[in-house]
Amino acid sequence: MINFDALGDAFTLLSTSWSAWVFVIPGLLVGLFFGSMPGISITMAMAIFLPMTLYMDFLPAIIFLTSIYTGAGFGGSVPAVLMNIPGTSSAVATTFDGYPMSRQGRHNEALGLALSSSVIGTLSSYILLMFIIEPVSGVVLKMGPLELFVVAIWGLMLLGSLAGDSIPRGLLAGTFGLLLGTVGMNSAGYIRGTMGIPWLLDGVPTIPAMMGLLAASQLLNLVNTRHLIEDEDLRKISLKKILNGFRESFQFKTIIARGAIIGVIIGSIPGVGSSISNLLSYSEAKRNAPDGDTFGKGNPKGVIAAESANSSSEGGAMATMLALGIPGGGATAILLAAFAMHNIVGGPSFIANNQDIVYAIIISNFAQALLLLVIGLGFVYFASYIVRVPMRYLIPSVLVVALFGSYAIDGTSSGPITLAVFAVIGWAMVRYNYPVAAAVVGLILGNLVEGNLLRTYQISGGDPAYALERPGALFIMALMVISFSLSAFSKMRRKRKEGAAMGAS
Amino acid sequence: MQKTGKIKVQWGHLALLAVLGTAILAYLLDARATSLRTNNLILVQPMSILALILLLMVLPQCFQRVPPAGAEEDHAALPATPKETPIELAKIGVVTGAFILLAFFMEQIGFDIAVFSFLVLGIFVCGERNWIANIAFSAVFTALLIYGYGAIIPFPFPLAVL
Amino acid sequence: MTSKLNRRTMLKLSGGGIAAAAMASPSILSAQDAYPSRPINVVVPFDTGGYNDRLARAFAPFLSERLGQPLNIINRGGAGALLGHTYFLQQPDDGYALLCTSAAPYLPLNILTQDAPFTIDQFHMVNLPSRDYTMLATSTESGITSIDEVISRLKEDANSLSIGIQPASADLVNLMLMADALGIDREALRLVTFDGGGPTRNAAAGNVVDIALVGGQGFLPLADKIVPLLIFDDAPRDGWNSKLITEVSADAQFVSGSQRGWAVHSSLVENSPEIYQTILTAIEETSKDPAVITALTNAQLATDWFGPEVSNKSLRATAAVMEQHISLLQGT
Repeated sequence: MINFDALGDAFTLLSTSWSAWVFVIPGLLVGLFFGSMPGISITMAMAIFLPMTLYMDFLPAIIFLTSIYTGAGFGGSVPAVLMNIPGTSSAVATTFDGYPMSRQGRHNEALGLALSSSVIGTLSSYILLMFIIEPVSGVVLKMGPLELFVVAIWGLMLLGSLAGDSIPRGLLAGTFGLLLGTVGMNSAGYIRGTMGIPWLLDGVPTIPAMMGLLAASQLLNLVNTRHLIEDEDLRKISLKKILNGFRESFQFKTIIARGAIIGVIIGSIPGVGSSISNLLSYSEAKRNAPDGDTFGKGNPKGVIAAESANSSSEGGAMATMLALGIPGGGATAILLAAFAMHNIVGGPSFIANNQDIVYAIIISNFAQALLLLVIGLGFVYFASYIVRVPMRYLIPSVLVVALFGSYAIDGTSSGPITLAVFAVIGWAMVRYNYPVAAAVVGLILGNLVEGNLLRTYQISGGDPAYALERPGALFIMALMVISFSLSAFSKMRRKRKEGAAMGAS
Repeated sequence: MQKTGKIKVQWGHLALLAVLGTAILAYLLDARATSLRTNNLILVQPMSILALILLLMVLPQCFQRVPPAGAEEDHAALPATPKETPIELAKIGVVTGAFILLAFFMEQIGFDIAVFSFLVLGIFVCGERNWIANIAFSAVFTALLIYGYGAIIPFPFPLAVL
Repeated sequence: MTSKLNRRTMLKLSGGGIAAAAMASPSILSAQDAYPSRPINVVVPFDTGGYNDRLARAFAPFLSERLGQPLNIINRGGAGALLGHTYFLQQPDDGYALLCTSAAPYLPLNILTQDAPFTIDQFHMVNLPSRDYTMLATSTESGITSIDEVISRLKEDANSLSIGIQPASADLVNLMLMADALGIDREALRLVTFDGGGPTRNAAAGNVVDIALVGGQGFLPLADKIVPLLIFDDAPRDGWNSKLITEVSADAQFVSGSQRGWAVHSSLVENSPEIYQTILTAIEETSKDPAVITALTNAQLATDWFGPEVSNKSLRATAAVMEQHISLLQGT
């Protein structure tokens, strides 16, 4: 729970070292800018500025890096909404409804929604963090393969609802993606499906493949259109509409709260993180919404669900890093490196001995989230001018940007080649009504599903009774079943009501 | 059962399924060639088989009976068939082809030349007829990307001219 | 991280370096007699944030000061360092490309299991300061307190404990060598395979697996969540209070874990001995500099000087043992 003495110290620390605050705005701007460039990951942005922090004091250094983290977390949503490009796997679910909204001329609203749900997500995750940082350290390491497998299956349930018109086509896309996700060396050291290409040992490069399936395929399909938004009147950039979207998200408190909780919990699991949490949150929102059918066609709730979850994952990952000294992903690994550069070793002893610093980090993250509101607003305002660029310029340019982004990931042509191959596959899938989103979800989850299924099998020796030894897994399973039956039940009730209403009229 | 109307084959759809099917089958065989132990096949084998079954279920949808005139409603029930004109399709083909060439050869050619050429061609095919605007935009955008991305990534771009 | 930023960082550190570079670089013709006359690239065959990346970035400013030229770190991760190693060999052997890598186990693994287009003799180790070791550990909650208990349970029933391990690793080779020496049925061991050292350690600390074998240095942050049971080395390491493999079984063979540090092209040593000598001296002096030792030790990075002879010998010894047990490295 909260230690108020330490909290007071933290305020003193932050108010006396005012220099720490100087770095928040530059950090946010750097993060927004890098995060919105496809292929530049949060990790890369932070790693680039890591050497600079060597010359700063500890607190300013950490505040600068976490500001980049916060900014970049939102930055990725901008290309996702405007161009269907998920620059990172945590922005995948944002594309599902954000991009359709843009094409309907609701880009202002979508960006406003994304910004406010991101900010609220970040804020609530850090509030939660204040309370859960200690219990988290006890629970996170207990997450074994069975628990993670159940979480992955929960994510896979999304495939069913992404299927669209034809269930077999949807499932085919999903299983195809899942298989793609298992290419390369598996957890037990077997090498499959690499066709002798060395870089496929690490699997199909996820981000280029996603950009190809979702973004490049779309762009190729749009070659014969003139503008992203057909109706000229809707092509306006309006601060008012952005603000409207901004306010709109406050109407969906349950979705945001659920997204934030999913984000914090999933985000705190090392190696899973925000790439899964946004999918889970989206899937839950879709299943529980009365207008679930319109998800994927530009429903604001989809954007809110995805953004609140991926931004709150940041808080979860920070909890694990602070409490255990282990990185949940690349970004927290960089933060730990920054700790080490200042002779501070993360981990249980760090929290116990430096509660004031921990609280100072948390408080400064509140401030970052609030400042992100203002800076992000300006950023999305200018970014949305992209909808006014004629398609004849936009298509080749964005294709090239995606190509540069895919090259930037590791500096070899593996990225561009993957991007081009999946652009063609994606284009053909879109043309014949296969849900590419299902393939992307499969691709992201493939490795997680296989690795954890395999480890569960190895630990248990194939004995199903093993599940009984894992109360955590049973609990997650129970949650899943309850969640599914509740939404099925409420759907049934809604149907009956509608039926009754129709009968009466 | 109405026997009237001809069967129309969606050749493109058929080709897509052929590609997916070949890829899945080849993957399954490759995995089985690597090792038959459970540690290797635990997910890949059942998933591949499931995918192939799903594929066989979808396959008949490539062959659609064109309803005789006056039966339009029936047709609407089927998933929409794509309908571009041949010229529109050709445009997509040109941009796609150029994009593939760019992706495969940009390292060899040099990013500057390759990207600039792709932009000029792409913008032209997509409908810009003002060459000055096209070339100016392509040049500026290429330079912007190369210096912009070049400044923030930890490896150099292979360049030919710049 | 980026070449440009790195140079800027260097500028702050060794102001004269850039100026010297700027003056020297136009005279490409005289490059031969005044090595180094332009910035030097350091190839790290892993992504940013890992041990080698951190080592290279922490060591580079000091080395740069001695060489009088900026050092650019180039990350070429992927495929278990295979891509980065190949890329390094493709660079000219003129002393303007150094390699900072986990030579063991990755070079032998590339060659033995991935059909690498190179041999180990194409790499010359200048110094491998970081030598990890396999550690067998368990969670504080597991109830297991000694290695003797583990051994007797495994002897009785090799399937009785779940063992967290990375496939195709030195740790796996060590486990199997130990099993053979102690008469434990290696086929019956219940192996649970993880992707990477971090997840393996987390599983051990969280009591998800009964025991785990994984590089010991990475366990330091988790020290109070685990019980160290056995170290695969002939001397105590990092202050762990546990038995050594040599105490458990006098004739057990073992391989050391990751051996990380600095390498150059072998052809550089043969063709340009003067340039090689410059690099060697610079790395040796930098490694022994007290300021460097303090800075790197603080960041939990190794800077001991073993020199080329010891480093190359130890790498080749590890490679030889791995080759003997090649079947272990191809999937479990």
